[in-house]
Amino acid sequence: MNLRKARVAGLLLASVGVVAILVAHWMVVFWVPTEASMGVVQRIFYIHVPAAWTTFLAFGLVALASLAYLWLGDDRADAAAVAAAEGGLVFGAIMLTSGPLWARVAWGTYWTWEPRLTLTLLLWFTYLGYFLVRGSMADPRKGRRFAAVVAVFGSLNIPLIHVSVSWFRSLHPEAVVIKPEGPTLHPDMLATLLTSLGGFTLLFLGLFSLRYSVEHASRRLQAARFRESTGVSP
Amino acid sequence: MRELRWGCMIALKDLRLELRSGSRLLAMIAFVVLSALLFSVSLNLAHLEVRGLVAGLVWLTTLFAVTAGAGRAFDTEENDGAFRHVLLTPVSRGAIFLGKTAANWVLVWFVTMLAFFALTTFMEIRSPGPLAWHGAVFLPGTIGLAVTGTFFGRVSNHSTLGDTLLPVLTFPLLVPVVFFGATATSRILLERPWLEISGPVRFLWAFAVGSAVAGTVLFRHVADE
Repeated sequence: MNLRKARVAGLLLASVGVVAILVAHWMVVFWVPTEASMGVVQRIFYIHVPAAWTTFLAFGLVALASLAYLWLGDDRADAAAVAAAEGGLVFGAIMLTSGPLWARVAWGTYWTWEPRLTLTLLLWFTYLGYFLVRGSMADPRKGRRFAAVVAVFGSLNIPLIHVSVSWFRSLHPEAVVIKPEGPTLHPDMLATLLTSLGGFTLLFLGLFSLRYSVEHASRRLQAARFRESTGVSP
Repeated sequence: MRELRWGCMIALKDLRLELRSGSRLLAMIAFVVLSALLFSVSLNLAHLEVRGLVAGLVWLTTLFAVTAGAGRAFDTEENDGAFRHVLLTPVSRGAIFLGKTAANWVLVWFVTMLAFFALTTFMEIRSPGPLAWHGAVFLPGTIGLAVTGTFFGRVSNHSTLGDTLLPVLTFPLLVPVVFFGATATSRILLERPWLEISGPVRFLWAFAVGSAVAGTVLFRHVADE
């Protein structure tokens, strides 16, 4: 895909995503029924769960793109990994702040050292390390390679987080949507959740596409400057 | 088989180098003994559940010792340019990594044992439970620590952030190891049955094997100059 197309697609996806998130917010405030046991605070669910889904989607993409970069050495894969990692950190921060606000009312504490919470926080720090590795190497190519390795190594945590709810005693609720017997969520709640999920996903994909095109363009510019000043290709 | 032999040769070379200079090992020993001493004098043991506390302290002390010492596995060779020569030998990158990790593991194992005996002695735990069970917990735990320390030691070695980067990279991965290691050790100290200990030990083995495979496969991407 050329950069212009990536930019247009990014703008389009992000715009649709923002509209869907606004609609989801309207549904959360005015439409969806209040959950019986937790009350109004349960409505954070419609932000927290989509943010968590987007975070794992982003970090999964980072791992795949990093693997592709290590295997093929293609700069575009590295640009995609950076774009996804930034998105993952932002949506991860939303997940890690919305969760404690909900937990304060549901569990009586902002933070508890239960497996999923702890492992997710650690995953977020792993990808923070990804940027530290990139930025702290004297040779940028080495930084990209080492960061890709960190991303692949760190992604070993993702399946563990997924199974932690069923493996360990956890305060986190079991899945209510993806179950063998079908979703057990009230249909209006499900509709709100899916609208929000769609909005978050589209917004992430849009931002990812835009960031990828900026990253790719900046590398081409750097390469052109290098060629101009030295007369050789980087 | 040949790869394994080369890995052993690299491990023996590293251990011989370490025994000749002794600086890294001595620093790790001093760190562990002094930490154990500091913990025992700074904590008011009368109001604490000592056995659970000792288990956590053993694993934390080992973790910090690994960060301080095992992460420097490449320093000596890197400083005098010898690592370039190691890379020029017809040995696969995976075998080099396994050799380096094996040498590091010997140090980590020694340091863990030392931390365990120092802390149980200073904190006056007279019956620490069956030592074979402790060994069965420490074995996979220390392999996981050595693998991660060696691998990310190589990464941080090239970074301008140096030693600051190593804990940022290793701690997020090693927190589950410390958690399950401390859980298993505390259960042994509390004389719980093996059935309650085998779960954490299985996780420690899964981490040790998974990280060793990932490290061996990925090492070639961080090995080259």
